[in-house]
Parts: sequence; C-alpha cells; structure tokens
Amino acid sequence: MAFNNRQEAGKTVVGIEDARLDASLSVPFRDYMFDLIANGQNDLVIDLSMVDFMDSSGLGAIVAVFKQLNGEGSVQLAAPQKAVHDLFYLTCMDQIFKIHGSVSEALSS
Amino acid sequence: MTDLPAANAPQHLKLSINSYLKDTVLVAMAVRGVCAMTSLSQTDINRFELCVVEVVNNAIEHAYCGEGGHQVEVDVFYTPDRSLEVVVSDFGTPMVPQGKTELQPLDPLNPDTWTASGRGLPIVERLMDKTRYQSSNGRNSFHMIRTLAQP
Repeated sequence: MAFNNRQEAGKTVVGIEDARLDASLSVPFRDYMFDLIANGQNDLVIDLSMVDFMDSSGLGAIVAVFKQLNGEGSVQLAAPQKAVHDLFYLTCMDQIFKIHGSVSEALSS
Repeated sequence: MTDLPAANAPQHLKLSINSYLKDTVLVAMAVRGVCAMTSLSQTDINRFELCVVEVVNNAIEHAYCGEGGHQVEVDVFYTPDRSLEVVVSDFGTPMVPQGKTELQPLDPLNPDTWTASGRGLPIVERLMDKTRYQSSNGRNSFHMIRTLAQP
C-alpha cells in the first residue's frame, strides 16, 4: 500500500509512501482519500514529505479530494518538496490550498 | 575511417517504452540525466521533467486510451549551449487540433474554476520555449524545445 493514515490532534494525517504522485498513482490515491471521507474523516492533512515529483494527475487527485468534501472539512498540505511546491505555484493552486512547512505546523494551524 | 558528426549537430538519444503509465518514470529519469549535462537550473530540470511526463502521459491516455502494449517513442536532441528538444511520438489516435492551450485562470472564490484535470498540456505550453504537434503517416509527434543559455 502506497498510503497510510493516522489520527492526530483531531485530524487525519495521510502519508504517501511513494516518491512520485503521478498518473500511475493518482487514481488509487484519490480512491483511498474518498474512502477516508466516506468514513467521516473530513479534516485531512496530506504529508507530502516523501513525494519528490508530482504531475498534473497527482495535482488533479488532490483537487478532486478537496471538491469531494464539498465545503464540509478541510485539506491541508504539509512539507512539499521544491518541485511539488513549484507545481502548486505554476498552477496557482497555492492560492486554494493551505501549504505548511511540516505536518506539526499543519496540525497546530 | 569513422564519420564524425558536424560540430553543431545535436546529440541524439532514442528511447522507447511500452504504453504503461508506470513506465513513464523511465523516460523521466533518462531525460533528467541529459538535463544534468546542460546549463539548466535545478528548478528548470524539474520543470523539464514535468513537461516530458505530461506529454508521455497524454500520449498513453489519449492516443492509446490508457491501454498498455503500445509503443511510445521519445527522442532527445541535445545541442550544447543551444537547445534541448524532446519529441514524444505515438502511433495511436491523433489529438484534435486545438491550437495553443493556456492555463485557465483560477479564481480562489469560485470552486468551478478549480478543475481536477486539463492542466497537463497548458503547463507544457507555459514552460517550454516552443512546442509543435504533427501527425503524419500514423505517427503523432509532440515536439518541445527549451533554449539553453550560452556560456
């Protein structure tokens, strides 16, 4: 399994255990996140620290998760590496998502 | 006697993968290796990799409808101090000509603009100096060119 989750400070922290969140992983990731939401886990922190590459499919999966919440919850991003942060900047998605330097920072926000 | 290429002729790397999305990483790593020989910054190398991945993914998902078992060819032409060109070719369904695609503006207050797809090729158009798509004799090729700074 390329993903894991744990409860911390009332939020669900989702870890991605793969270095690439790309088109080959975006659908399993989206489905994993949708299952969490279906189980009532609506305050989500995605730990991106292990991900050194993301393409538009990976980004699209995160957007889909955000929209799946339909305003009833939150998606926060934590610890993106430089290339991943750059993708959010290039697409202006950094205006939509709260991006934190670390998971602990996201949990205390 | 060995024929030598002209001094300004590009060096050419030819790659071929099966049309599985998980194999795109093979092209990505090879192109990163070539990029490391150039004057591109680390940020530009990351962006170049992103562009190549987007175009290869696009070929797999659209030309072959995501089906494995088909060929995707990638040609890398490196002209030191001049340009780095990557040509991604498939032999499936050609793209419908749409002209240049731009990243759609995003309104933080309007969720309808937060689309989950359709950003791949607009990102490429944004980041590359030149792009060109041609379809001929069953071969569809997407060219992307990045100019390199001269020392």
